Amino acid sequence: MDRTEPVDRPIGTTTVAGGRDAEDEVDLIPIRTYWQLARQRFIQHRLAVIALFTLLVLVSIAIVVPTFTGLEYRLTDLTERNAGPTLTAPLGHDELGVNLFVRLAKATQTSLIIGGAAVMIIVGIGTFVGSIAGYAGGWVDNLLMRLVDIVLSLPVLFIILMIVSFFGGGDVRVIIIAIGITGWTLAARLIRAEFLALRGADFVQAAKALGAGHRRIITRHILPSAMAPLVVAAALGVADSVVTEAALSFLGFGISATEASLGTMLNKFSIYFYSAPERILYPSLVLVLIVLSASFLGDGIRDALDPRQRIASK
Amino acid sequence: MTGPEARVTSQDRPDAPPDPESGSPLWKPAADTGSHTGRRGASGAETAPDAQGEVLVKVTDLVKHFPIRGGLLGISRLGAVRAVDGVSFDVRRGETLGLGGESGCGKTTLGKVILRLLPPTSGDVSIKDRPIFGLSGSKMKAVREDMQVVFQDPYASLNPRMTVGEIVGEGPLVHGLKNRVKREELVRELLGKVGLNQSHIHRYPHEFSGGQRQRIGIARALALNPDFIVCDEPVSALDVSIQSQVLNLLDDLQRELGLTYLFIAHNLAVVEHISDRVGVMYLGKIVELADVDTLYRDARHPYTVALLSAVPEPDPRRRRKRLVLRGDVPSPVNPPSGCRFHTRCWLREQLGNPENCVTDEPELRTISPGQQAACHWSEKITPEGVQSAAEHQPPVALAEAAAD
Amino acid sequence: MTTPQAGQLLELRDLRTHFYTQDGTVRAVDGVTFEIRDGQTLGVVGESGCGKSITAMSVLRLIERPGRVVGGQVLLRGKDLMEYSDTEMRDVRGNQISMIFQEPMTSLNPVYTCGDQIAEAVELHEAVNRRQAWARAVEMLAQVGIPEPARRAKQFPHQMSGGMRQRVMIAMALSTNPELLIADEPTTALDVTIQAQILELMKALRERNKMAIMLITHDLGVIAEMADEVVVMYGGKVMERADAMTIFERPHNPYTKGLLASIPRLGEKRERLEVIQGVVPNPLNLPTGCLFKRRCPYAMPVCDTAPPVRQVAPGHVSRCWLTPAGEPPRIGEDAPPELAEESAQELTVMAR
Repeated sequence: MDRTEPVDRPIGTTTVAGGRDAEDEVDLIPIRTYWQLARQRFIQHRLAVIALFTLLVLVSIAIVVPTFTGLEYRLTDLTERNAGPTLTAPLGHDELGVNLFVRLAKATQTSLIIGGAAVMIIVGIGTFVGSIAGYAGGWVDNLLMRLVDIVLSLPVLFIILMIVSFFGGGDVRVIIIAIGITGWTLAARLIRAEFLALRGADFVQAAKALGAGHRRIITRHILPSAMAPLVVAAALGVADSVVTEAALSFLGFGISATEASLGTMLNKFSIYFYSAPERILYPSLVLVLIVLSASFLGDGIRDALDPRQRIASK
Repeated sequence: MTGPEARVTSQDRPDAPPDPESGSPLWKPAADTGSHTGRRGASGAETAPDAQGEVLVKVTDLVKHFPIRGGLLGISRLGAVRAVDGVSFDVRRGETLGLGGESGCGKTTLGKVILRLLPPTSGDVSIKDRPIFGLSGSKMKAVREDMQVVFQDPYASLNPRMTVGEIVGEGPLVHGLKNRVKREELVRELLGKVGLNQSHIHRYPHEFSGGQRQRIGIARALALNPDFIVCDEPVSALDVSIQSQVLNLLDDLQRELGLTYLFIAHNLAVVEHISDRVGVMYLGKIVELADVDTLYRDARHPYTVALLSAVPEPDPRRRRKRLVLRGDVPSPVNPPSGCRFHTRCWLREQLGNPENCVTDEPELRTISPGQQAACHWSEKITPEGVQSAAEHQPPVALAEAAAD
Repeated sequence: MTTPQAGQLLELRDLRTHFYTQDGTVRAVDGVTFEIRDGQTLGVVGESGCGKSITAMSVLRLIERPGRVVGGQVLLRGKDLMEYSDTEMRDVRGNQISMIFQEPMTSLNPVYTCGDQIAEAVELHEAVNRRQAWARAVEMLAQVGIPEPARRAKQFPHQMSGGMRQRVMIAMALSTNPELLIADEPTTALDVTIQAQILELMKALRERNKMAIMLITHDLGVIAEMADEVVVMYGGKVMERADAMTIFERPHNPYTKGLLASIPRLGEKRERLEVIQGVVPNPLNLPTGCLFKRRCPYAMPVCDTAPPVRQVAPGHVSRCWLTPAGEPPRIGEDAPPELAEESAQELTVMAR
């Protein structure tokens, strides 16, 4: 049996006094802070670590490449039409001679910005509505949950299309807001369920008995314990938003065709499905990587934040 | 914040000498906090308080119904679970009042309503002659220094994301001890008091065993230096060998700090061990309330008799015919008329099913000094009657009357 | 005892079940030996984590990964269950040995009626048609004291109270007339008055069906009420084994003594309870030698060596260095001489 530490202490004659034995068991565990423990648990989650690494790579490409290439993602160069991969254009060029790697990087950037910003709205509204409903309970809960039902019953894509076409297509901010205000229902439900359960938990009751106020109970006791569904909701939100944006752009209602996003790329290259499938493959691959990484990362963070999760010894 | 609260807690004991050793809140001026703690330790807690003891907590006609709601918006009321249905009793300073009964009898709900963790339906609870149900938020917060709680499940009652120091120190923090160093000092003292290693202050609850967690819960309750602690099944989730450690600790703390306990438990042997007086609940009512020795020797409610008879004793020589009650506890949504126990009552059957058990609800009445029971026929309970009730019941496996 | 004696139903020989967890190996059952005779009720008592439930699960070969039975034999009428094929084992379960659990709600299928579930158990083990099986189910419900069995058979588990569900579980377990009923904390989730009903029921059925019971519980009261013989477990090992009267009146092992002394008893008001110091040791970090030594008031230097299982009296064995008379061992007689060197000077009881 492996142990993290040599723990054998002299036993036998000296331990008859008992009593303190209990603590000796605890003393075997080295003291670590909450965040140290969380980091350790996260590192144990191999998929999450891979996901984090993948996301970091994608994010750095999405930041670095467009920064150094500026507007190159729009630059057509007919001399390079359909040219194959080169060192500066590892993915080759499209039919107008646009460097596909640069364009894909810019598209990734756009999609990540939209996904990230939309998820903030989603989590913000979701937490607000969900925590009020779950904490207050009773008729407040009923009212808010019926509101959630109504939003949920709307044809989301259709509503987004309406908003986008009404407030001006092509504007990234409009797209973000449209995705945000239609996508918060899942987050609200998850948070509300967690609040409802935690509201009656013994440790919350104990805090109430100590005289802790609502704000303290929510921020110190309930919210930290509700982080798990929050993280999951955020991860799913990112994935969802990125996909929604792609769908919007694919349908032609997203950002303007000259700008790059994963959706516009898919839209534009769909005609090459047979002749040059790799042009569809690249943005699809990025899309899939973002979605998968986000949800694995969410799982990893959720587990890492749960102090009850055990840490395996080496 | 500190000033007025301190005055509230100390108003009943202005003459008490300061006692820095007693665990009074370190962050409050010693002269102001006074010391109810320790005062009892010298004399009172040694012997069970007599009937004239000072009333610390008074519960008057307390009712708690949980409405069953339905309909489109969940607003229309379909009925109510009558968890606590008119309960009155006093808890005297320095005593342990045990509260026993089966699951669903309302004992845990009662404890939570007394602590105002659940809003009451009606009735009154006062601590030190101060009714608590009408109090505003800040005044209620002050009262919370006087009454604390220890929960059953040592795994659920501690916030897994807080260290021991944060958990135990939360009460003092909330009540104005902002100084981190002083708070840690206080927490260390409390940990020592409940038999935990003071160096464990920065550890998380999941690193401890069940018994140790329960000690952390007790330290948290003690941190505000309360007079009154509701112990809600504090040892039921613990192993046998750990149970006795925690019971002894509660005993020691009571002696040392002059605490008053409301001790809620389903294990009647545990209740007997720890209590000075015992109340037995059935379907939201107290059916019997008596000094511990009287109740266990000479119960005057047929339900108490049956409950005691049902406890399997760890002694094979005392294997005996038990008085086995038929059927299940009826639903508290729709309790039986008259005496709530009449559907399962062996005494009623013995007496030829008298009508008033079904029609008249028996009040808690004094049977003998220090003993009250809610039964029309208390006086008819005899050892011989109990014996014959146990022996003349039909074999359980073969005939079982429907309870519902 | 190499050949099964008449009346010998189940024999466990040096049974070992280990769990291979990320943190190390847990020896949940570590060399358990005992036997159950026909019609006998054997109580297995111990605190959480002592291995009593795992022992039962091992008997029925219900251990799942990361656990594994790594050694020993489970002889049912002289045949080793560990050598049975999965098909043969399925036949044993429910037919010769049935099991009931602590929480009947989780062991009953919520989407089938109680009658369906019992009838299914009957059909699995007997050549009967659906109607006969249903009739049998209703009959079983009546036997376990459920009023209006025909109506109740059509109800779903959630429509019944805890006590009723436990009766259904018992009905299901008994529907095939097993020779051995393994009851794992059968009344722990129930209230005392309901517990009394179930215990009375089990006693009545035991008489009538002449079946043996292996009763696993932490409640010494239930043990005293039901058991003929008692096995006390601690840390995966049997600490003491004797008939019930001996265990409660003349326990030899310090752990049994401590356990008995620490429970509050009805009608016996004591100022202070005796306690067993410390906590149950971490199964991943068991002490060497005697598992109980850190908490034992009799602990002595020799306890650093694993204690022998001694016969204290006929039918009464105890895992302890103390002599049958309860005295510290004498080197050369009660303890091997090689232990003398390290601790010769003070082989005295260090009782406080």
